Amino acid sequence: MEPHRRTRMDEEIVPGGKGFAERAAHGGNQLNGHKPGPLGPQAFRAASERILSAINTVIDGKAEAAKLALTVLLAQGHLLLEDVPGVGKTLLAKTLARTIDCSVSRIQFTPDLLPSDVTGVSIYNQSSRQFEFRPGAVFANVVIGDEINRASAKTQSALLECMEEHQVTVDGHSYKLAEPFMVVATQNPIEMEGTYPLPEAQRDRFMARISMGYPDKESEIEMLETHQATSPLARVTSVVTSADVAAMIATVQQVYVSQSVKEYTVAVGRATRDSAMLRLGASPRSMLQLLRAAKATAALDGRDFVLPDDVVAVAESVLAHRIILDRKAVSTGETPQSVIRGVLAKLPVSQEMTESVHASRQARAAELRPSR
Amino acid sequence: MTLAPQRQTGAAPQPSTAASEPRRRPGAGAYPWAMSGAVAVAVIGAAVSLNGVLRGWAWFLPVLTTILVVSLTMAGLRALRAQPLLVTLGGFVSLLFILIFTFFRRDSIAGFIPSDATMTSLGRHLRRASETVLSESSPVAPNAGIVLVTCAALGLVVILIDALALPLGMPATSGLGLLAVLVVPAMIKPQSVGLAGFLGTATGFLLILACSQWFAPDARVQADTARNPGQIKRAAMTGAVALVATLVLQLVIPGFDQGTFPQGSRLNPWASSSGLNPMISLGNSLRRPSGDGRITYATNATTPLYLRSVTVDRFDGEAWSPDDRNSSRRTGPGRMEVGHEMLAPEQVRQVTVVNTGDFTSPYLPVPYAPEAVNGLTGRWSWDPATLSIRGTDTNSRNQQYLVRSSAPKLTTELLDGSSAPVRGIPDEFIRPPANVPEVVRTTADSVTSDSRTAYEKAMAIQRYLRGGAFTYSLESPVQGGYDGNGLSVLADFLTQKSGYCIHFASAMAVMARVEGIPSRIAVGYAPGRLTGATVSVAGQGALPEFEVDARDAHAWPELYFQGLGWVPFEPTPSRGQVPPYAQDSSSGGASTNDGTNDGLLPTNGATPPPATTPDPLPLPGGGEARAGNQTVAMLYGAAGGLLLVLIATAPRMVRTGLRSRRLRGPAARTGQAAAPLAWAELRDLATDYGVRPLPSETPRAFSARLSSSPALRPAPHPNAPDARAPRSSGHLEAETAVHGLTTAFERHQYGRPAAAGPAGTAASPDPRAAQEIAVVRKALRRNAGLLGRLRAEWLPPSVMSRWGSLAGAPFRAVARGVARAGKAAAGSWTRARDGLRRLREG
Repeated sequence: MEPHRRTRMDEEIVPGGKGFAERAAHGGNQLNGHKPGPLGPQAFRAASERILSAINTVIDGKAEAAKLALTVLLAQGHLLLEDVPGVGKTLLAKTLARTIDCSVSRIQFTPDLLPSDVTGVSIYNQSSRQFEFRPGAVFANVVIGDEINRASAKTQSALLECMEEHQVTVDGHSYKLAEPFMVVATQNPIEMEGTYPLPEAQRDRFMARISMGYPDKESEIEMLETHQATSPLARVTSVVTSADVAAMIATVQQVYVSQSVKEYTVAVGRATRDSAMLRLGASPRSMLQLLRAAKATAALDGRDFVLPDDVVAVAESVLAHRIILDRKAVSTGETPQSVIRGVLAKLPVSQEMTESVHASRQARAAELRPSR
Repeated sequence: MTLAPQRQTGAAPQPSTAASEPRRRPGAGAYPWAMSGAVAVAVIGAAVSLNGVLRGWAWFLPVLTTILVVSLTMAGLRALRAQPLLVTLGGFVSLLFILIFTFFRRDSIAGFIPSDATMTSLGRHLRRASETVLSESSPVAPNAGIVLVTCAALGLVVILIDALALPLGMPATSGLGLLAVLVVPAMIKPQSVGLAGFLGTATGFLLILACSQWFAPDARVQADTARNPGQIKRAAMTGAVALVATLVLQLVIPGFDQGTFPQGSRLNPWASSSGLNPMISLGNSLRRPSGDGRITYATNATTPLYLRSVTVDRFDGEAWSPDDRNSSRRTGPGRMEVGHEMLAPEQVRQVTVVNTGDFTSPYLPVPYAPEAVNGLTGRWSWDPATLSIRGTDTNSRNQQYLVRSSAPKLTTELLDGSSAPVRGIPDEFIRPPANVPEVVRTTADSVTSDSRTAYEKAMAIQRYLRGGAFTYSLESPVQGGYDGNGLSVLADFLTQKSGYCIHFASAMAVMARVEGIPSRIAVGYAPGRLTGATVSVAGQGALPEFEVDARDAHAWPELYFQGLGWVPFEPTPSRGQVPPYAQDSSSGGASTNDGTNDGLLPTNGATPPPATTPDPLPLPGGGEARAGNQTVAMLYGAAGGLLLVLIATAPRMVRTGLRSRRLRGPAARTGQAAAPLAWAELRDLATDYGVRPLPSETPRAFSARLSSSPALRPAPHPNAPDARAPRSSGHLEAETAVHGLTTAFERHQYGRPAAAGPAGTAASPDPRAAQEIAVVRKALRRNAGLLGRLRAEWLPPSVMSRWGSLAGAPFRAVARGVARAGKAAAGSWTRARDGLRRLREG
């Protein structure tokens, strides 16, 4: 059974026999040792624009979703695409992977998929008379997990563990996964029979959840025309290397977060926990991910510091799938998204007034000092 | 175009502020001295105008030393580069020291350190000053108390102006301090501030402005003058507002509609009793050429009738006032009697009907000596010693009453023969004042040296005063600084030999006292004019009607002759009518006035416009209103007016001050806090024009909302596509400005701190924020309606809501406390109930 297939067979990863490094399972474009330095604002902007425009040539009218996907990639998170079939979830994931010159693997989750299919397995090599590690589908830069809710809980958790740890442990050996590493999982909310929907605890590991939504009329007509003859995916060529992506990720890590933005982020989390409409608020881990996503957003916006706006921009996508509504809120027709919006609308933007008051006080004090 | 170089010179020293601090230290140079000198000149100039409020020039030297010491101290401290707060503090300390050194040298330690004795002495001085202010009319005697208060006030003004002009950087506003000084003479002195005072003040003020321009140590003050091209427009606006204010204010403030500020009526437009010293108001009544306080009367008397309100009989102290013997007053003037023996062979009885009209005074004008007054409304009482009639709960307004009076028919022989020793009258009419000036005593002695009897002495004094040596003048006492009353005034009068009835009457009364004749001064009205009408009085038939008004206000002496009672004399030349018994056989009727009072008006010819407000003659003050004084009242009035103006303009001033501090304050210039300050200003600006920032809004969200709001983006006019172009360009400009401000603020607020304040960006003053704010403001103003504009400028919501929340803070705190207490109470009640239940169950 071959549950996964490589999209770029020419670079198929074969464990390097004798040269197989035990603690760094070689997969994809692993950047050996040396970490790329952060990019300058121009280079960053150029790279991100290349990626986004490449995606937009394939998927019409989904610029927001594309941007969010890139955001998650740069924030080193994982993406959960949740929507009805046929709106381009897989296409988005594939396109994102293709625009980057990196390895991609796709796992079609089925109920009989085994954890070892995901992570890999140690096989006894008769000729060399020793165990060899045969990496699973997860050893790629971008891993697309289609219909993740169809797999058994055991397999799901195997993948989720990889997502969290960025490494695979088989037979007491740990194998590092490729960097950059991103899982794009899709989930189908319709046709739920015989599925194992991700429990809340596991949804928490995805940085963001996006609903693709239907394209608008013009985009749909456009799609009918362009996608008639050939698959649009065929036209996509990689526009950045994985080294570029790693550099971009490094850039995102360098984005500055001021104290007041940190406070604001924490305040958002606390507000969801205090909200009367929520049974379960946002976890501290989600705060971490929210801030990381905000940093990526800021970088994509060409800034080297985070604004509260960045937090607001990603809050809905990052938080909505982690919170659980109260029964009463459900009965009044609230959705997680609307609750997050309500929380943000009530939350004062941290410290702004007090700081400007402080500044004006400083100004007054300066005025009383002897004139120079 | 002219702006550019000035701005550059202004901005040039700025980048090197931090580095050049030590280097510039010795360069403080002439600036503090020049500024302090200018302040001193201005305040001294303003102080000059106080001459006339204070009598003479003796007060000037202490004032001068105070001003100079305070301003020099502050200049010295500033030259030593002390903190501005320290400089001001030093000003206060030096003021304290110089005041102690000047006034309490003997009561303090080492001449300037305050001690217990200093405080006692200070209390005495202040009491003296307040007595003077309350009881005297201008010009007041420059006693130590008054001069102390003046010196202290002027010293404080110096400190105030200095503080306004230097550390606060508002040299133009410092004129307020000068105004505070000038207001006093302007309100009190008949000739207003006076040329010298005005010139001195104006010179000093211009010097302050000029020095702050020439010597300003940094660009802050200099740049003030050429900040933007709207300068001329703004100057014109300011001038127009000032002009309108001066025109309107004088209509609003009662009493301003006359050039010479008649005292007493001010702040009293409803003609209630003003309770003033009659001696003070008399001169002003006389100087007023309009016929206010008209009284008509009809009498069957054959001789001219003096209407008398009140007497003054105590000549001690700084100022004389009607002596009210409240304890001995008797109620009901229906039947009155003189308290002394009356031996005259023949009594002349007269019936007089008086109609007071709108003349308002607690005292009733009646002919002497009243026996019965009928027809009055309200309750009245009378003093047996002086027969003055005063309302206990009413006043003379709109009274009509019939007075029966009787006076002995006096002849020269009778008076001459009255040589019996005086008895039966209170001692205070007899006792000569304690500290009679030497000139009064010598004059009295020399005038009466040839006279033997009391009558001869009285006649000699009257002859002396009516003689050619004295001239009647309403103006010269004012100019000479002895307008008023009191023994010192009397001395001045006898030297200057010019004055009006109060001076003549008091001269004769005091001289008679000195010579042993009991005397007092009667205040009331000289005989008036016939109106031509007749009034029919029951039992008397038709009687001719007379009228008197404020111009007939008069004072005359009454001398006591044993057996004949109080005998009026007429020492004032050209006023009243000399009674037959007091006429000299030699000069006979020559000096007798024909009763038309031609000589009443001052001869200077300049006739001010008639008063428009009904102006009561503020005659004698009652005991209940004695404390009132027109000076104090006027000051209160002026202060009240200023306060009103201040309250009305306070929101705008606060808003403007806030804006200029945010945009052009030193913090904004150093660049450390420029962005948040500009941002705060943008938020307030938007608030003022109706786009209120929400607490949950991020800066970017707010600026986006502002940019798209109709306040900044006007709806394009559907019918005028060509009008859209200029509009949208202005709008784009404003949008760019908002965006720039937002970005700058975000960078400051959320950006890397190291990047926010490197030397490169901090040192260069950033005029961009101010320009951007100006652009936004212009756009907002343009798009707002008239009402919105007015509200934004005069009642800016940003300021008002801040004040509102400030005002509500105590209530909110109380509410919170109550809520907390309620919760605690509820909690303890629940606990107690649970405990009880558990007890019962267990």
